[in-house]
Amino acid sequence: MSDRGGIRWLDGDRRTALGALRRGRGAPACAATPPETEERRDALAEIVGATVERNRYGEFLRVRRWLTGPGPCRFPEALQRVVRAPLEAGDLAEPERWLFLDTETTGLSGGTGTCAFLVGLAWWEAGGLAIEQLFLRDYAEEHAVLLALAERLEERPVLVTYNGKSFDWPLLETRFRLTRQIEPAPPRLHIDLLHPARQLWRLEWGTARLGELERLVLGIDRGPDLPSALIPEIYFDYLRGASAEPLVAVFRHNQGDLSSLAALAGHIAELAHSPERASPLEQYGLSRIFERRGDRPGARRVYEMAIEAGLPASLGRAARRRLARLARRDGELELAHSLWRELAEEESVTGEVSEEKETVESILEACEQLAIHYERRERNREEALEWTRHAAALLDGSGGVDRKFRCRWQQRLERRMGRLAGRRRGASNALLGKVMPCVSGAGAGSCGLERAKGKQSEY
Amino acid sequence: MVGFGEEKAKEGVLASLSLRQAASGTIATLGDAIDSLIKRQPARAAEDAALRVITAIHEMPEREAEWAPMPSWLRPELAAAYRGKGIERLYSHQAAAAEAVRAGRNVVVVTPTASGKTLCYNLPVLNAILENADARALYLFPTKALAQDQLAELHDLEERLGDAFAVFTYDGDTPSDARKAIRERGHIVLSNPDMLHAGILPHHTRWMRLFENLRFVVIDELHTYRGVFGSHVTNVLRRLARIARFYGSKPQFICSSATIANPRELAERLAEQPFDLVDENGAPAARKTFVFYNPPLVNRRLGIRRSYINESRRVAQEFLGRDLQTLVFANSRLHTELLVTYLLQTNPSLPGRQEAIRGYRGGYLPGERREIERGLREGRIRAVVATSALELGVDIGSLDAVVMAGYPGRIASTWQRAGRAGRRNGHACAVLVASSAPLDQFIVTHPEYFFGQSPERAFVEPDNPEILLNHLKCAAFELPLRAGERFGGLEIDEPARALEGAGFLHRSGAAWHWTDEAYPADAISLRAVTSDNFVIMDLGRGAPEAIGEVDFSSALTTVHPKAIYLHDGAFYSVERLDFDDRKAYVRQVETDYFTDAIRYTEVRILEEAARAPAGEGRAAHGDVLVRSQVVGFKKIKFFTNENVGAGPLELPENEMHTTSFWITLERGLVAALPFPVSERQAGMYGLLCALEAVATLLLMCDRRDLGTAIGERPPDPGSNAAAPRPEMSPSPEVSRTKAQEFFEPNLYLYDAYPGGIGFSRPLFEMRGELLARTRELIRSCACEHGCPSCVGPAEGGWRTKEVALAILERLCE
Repeated sequence: MSDRGGIRWLDGDRRTALGALRRGRGAPACAATPPETEERRDALAEIVGATVERNRYGEFLRVRRWLTGPGPCRFPEALQRVVRAPLEAGDLAEPERWLFLDTETTGLSGGTGTCAFLVGLAWWEAGGLAIEQLFLRDYAEEHAVLLALAERLEERPVLVTYNGKSFDWPLLETRFRLTRQIEPAPPRLHIDLLHPARQLWRLEWGTARLGELERLVLGIDRGPDLPSALIPEIYFDYLRGASAEPLVAVFRHNQGDLSSLAALAGHIAELAHSPERASPLEQYGLSRIFERRGDRPGARRVYEMAIEAGLPASLGRAARRRLARLARRDGELELAHSLWRELAEEESVTGEVSEEKETVESILEACEQLAIHYERRERNREEALEWTRHAAALLDGSGGVDRKFRCRWQQRLERRMGRLAGRRRGASNALLGKVMPCVSGAGAGSCGLERAKGKQSEY
Repeated sequence: MVGFGEEKAKEGVLASLSLRQAASGTIATLGDAIDSLIKRQPARAAEDAALRVITAIHEMPEREAEWAPMPSWLRPELAAAYRGKGIERLYSHQAAAAEAVRAGRNVVVVTPTASGKTLCYNLPVLNAILENADARALYLFPTKALAQDQLAELHDLEERLGDAFAVFTYDGDTPSDARKAIRERGHIVLSNPDMLHAGILPHHTRWMRLFENLRFVVIDELHTYRGVFGSHVTNVLRRLARIARFYGSKPQFICSSATIANPRELAERLAEQPFDLVDENGAPAARKTFVFYNPPLVNRRLGIRRSYINESRRVAQEFLGRDLQTLVFANSRLHTELLVTYLLQTNPSLPGRQEAIRGYRGGYLPGERREIERGLREGRIRAVVATSALELGVDIGSLDAVVMAGYPGRIASTWQRAGRAGRRNGHACAVLVASSAPLDQFIVTHPEYFFGQSPERAFVEPDNPEILLNHLKCAAFELPLRAGERFGGLEIDEPARALEGAGFLHRSGAAWHWTDEAYPADAISLRAVTSDNFVIMDLGRGAPEAIGEVDFSSALTTVHPKAIYLHDGAFYSVERLDFDDRKAYVRQVETDYFTDAIRYTEVRILEEAARAPAGEGRAAHGDVLVRSQVVGFKKIKFFTNENVGAGPLELPENEMHTTSFWITLERGLVAALPFPVSERQAGMYGLLCALEAVATLLLMCDRRDLGTAIGERPPDPGSNAAAPRPEMSPSPEVSRTKAQEFFEPNLYLYDAYPGGIGFSRPLFEMRGELLARTRELIRSCACEHGCPSCVGPAEGGWRTKEVALAILERLCE
């Protein structure tokens, strides 16, 4: 480098001054890798119960296990109702051809420098769960592991993962591309259970992490488990020559995740098949999933179930609101009407004005829908005006909503009121000035002032 | 070029100006404005150079275009598309560039503003895409705004060619749902080096289509890639080449650059490949008058001149008052806002004046900027005061006059700014108003230097260890480093082993793999040497909150305890500096003073790379160790600059290995100076100050890129078996208070970045020019014993200037 006029920079003590060699978390600088010894390689195979496999790219470690449970999914077709992927008939019909996949990686940042050093696979076999873990003892073994994975994917082209659509699969795709040689066909179907799991359980448990759901939903106690944040460093330490012992926990952690994944698939399918067995909150989540997937009859049935079974107040309102919308779309106006009435009258039943925006909105919407109903269908403008006024008064009395929301609704109600009142020329002018102080077209900024004036005029 | 002392030439200019008044209205009023400027020249200017206000009037006559036919190999549909835009033939340089690209050469085109540079690369690139729809090109611009501007031009061609190709920008603003389509379908991707570094290369597998078919890399505004930024970008290009190789492609480079002295050398160092240079401009040019304006002298002895901001306002008013569309360039945001205010006050009756006089700078929103650009093109806006944000590429049409409030710092930028004036078939004017800074004064009093061959050279030092190691980390993240592999011609085994030792890499078989959870590109900014930054934590917001960062090298002088730190227009006092955690805790305060750190600098020569005699002295360059310590600070009152207090500080010493250029004044030379010791020392510091100013000009760098120090020369290697004796060298602010005698001093100009950024060797090679130009600067300054425009203020009646000149006389051959 000195031929270019730059500094000669790697001799001895000068190196210590380089910021580029400082490591963030104060990790100790380590010695060069000791030569790989046969004993050390065998030690790992022995303690995790692995065999050394070989294919045309070389060697790697493989762990095989067979667990008596969780057993195969009993209602595979039901899963079809809750997953997003476009399905062809029969894709899910053979649960034996599903391949559960979960990887352990050298980081979470993505990009070409993150590697999956342990590829965990599982499938249902002989009434139980077969587990296969492919492990690279060194980066040089990656090609061999990827080839083994590609072969498994060919046998079982329906991939089931947890967050695999955003993480595991793109990462593996990158790894395959980096080989420039191994190009597996993309899975015929990829079911990521994270999405239905979020809908089903986040409301109830406030989390959608697999490890937590395993405990809370499936009731499995894994015992002491490894925090996933430690995993990359354990692998790096192993690469640098440290003991293989800590890796045992990584293999076990991965097995635990695979078996939870399989159990969760079965459990979700079961809930989808028999929603009546689900908890009210799960039912609410299920109906949201059905609604999103365009399954209106299914969604309505389960919304009704959930309302019947009793939901917390705010969710109950949300469920009725959604159900009412679906009913209206299906032309079941009677049902819709009664739901709106329930919603609109709830506040007067409890005698309290809610401070929650969600609640206020669902009641306002119900009143509005009732007004529409009376105006258009019943041709009863008085009643329509009454509901609109009710909404306006409610809005006026609720303190918990922000200014933007208030103005939007005030304008919306005022337009309706103006129209209704206009038809009953003259009669409602006084009332307009009284209840609807926010002048149409006034910006959000003037609302407060206008409101204050309106209040005064009531006296 | 007309130096103003030359009376004959002046008459010629005036004659031609009055002749012009017979022509069209605009030309006549422009002539009026120029005449009115010239009238500001005091009567005695002819006898006394120091009194000159107009130091140069440079006439550039109208120039005819040199044409060349469209290349025979051009696809008919592309020729038709250009015909549709009114382009039937090419300027000669466009044709030359297209042919060279066609022949498979890497090309660097040197183009003045508005000479049709985009066609130089668009034409061959689009032709290649039309011939082969798989071909891909990557365009790199130094800023996002420039890429946006190019997008409009390419969209127009896309439409004319019936969507035969797809072009997208890919930067931090690109929505994530659009990214996939861009990666797959974009024939031309417009981006910037920062995005390539952190967003594209680390995800190259997603860009497989691009990299497998990458035929061209276009680098616009090449001259901006110099110093630290250029050294980083060279390494980013090394990584790009590596990944292209992985996918089996080897792209051809097309670069465009403003006029600098070494465009081809810069291109070859950046891309590390041979280049063809195309610099014969065939574009036509309008007649233009370039005026150098030096604000009138107020106090000759102290070298004080009138405020250049105010003078710039007066000059701009000459044009604006005659309804000539005017662009004013200021060198800071503050001055931009000041000048807008002044011009609004001066023109109370301008119709729609709030709309007609506008500011334009970095902080403005994109929509507002586009609106101003449109207003300028359509003529609705009569005057804009801008920062360098308007200097590069952005299309605003051509204006009648450009006024530069202060020298932009570089000749290339000055020409780019001046290029904004120049209507086709008309007459335009550019005025440079000088500030009292040494560089400004040098340029404005040496017009031949400016209008002659450009002296500015751009340098990079991609093998700076800090920068290189950081990019090797990124490279290893992208693809394992293979043993024996070369990275830009450099063997990687040794640095790879260093990274392995620090735990970033792991060797497996014949390759090193990335073994860290982090995504290395995130931590590396292309605009700084190290990412080892100090975070500024505000204590006044409940929980401490990060409000900014300062880089390691300036942390000790800007955020030491009790320092006043300026952020976003507010003052903060530093309460605590946590050196280990790299955090400075601050609290907002009201203050009427700022702080100035007192630094003690020591330079030790580690290895001399080369030396040569310089007159009676000697010059050399090599590796040095710079130790500096902030030992205290002064409190300086705003506006009056009074020293209102001081305090000692105990801070860790900062040590840096870097490269330096130095001049040795030998014992005989110093002893023979006919001045007392105190004046000699002051003269040496004054000389160093002037040398630094000229060096920044030659190297196209900022003052903060170079450090200065004086120290006693160490014994020659070999003359003493022991290690070289460290030399103590207090920096100027210390020495001025206690004069210290040097018997055989070294004057150091060192690279202010760890590892050096490639300035020292070029400075050594340019030492003759450096010394001669410095002598001119000091000689031509109007002050008596020294002023901030040359050797710094003369204190205590010392003859600083005379000493500096006496030393220079002995150093110049």
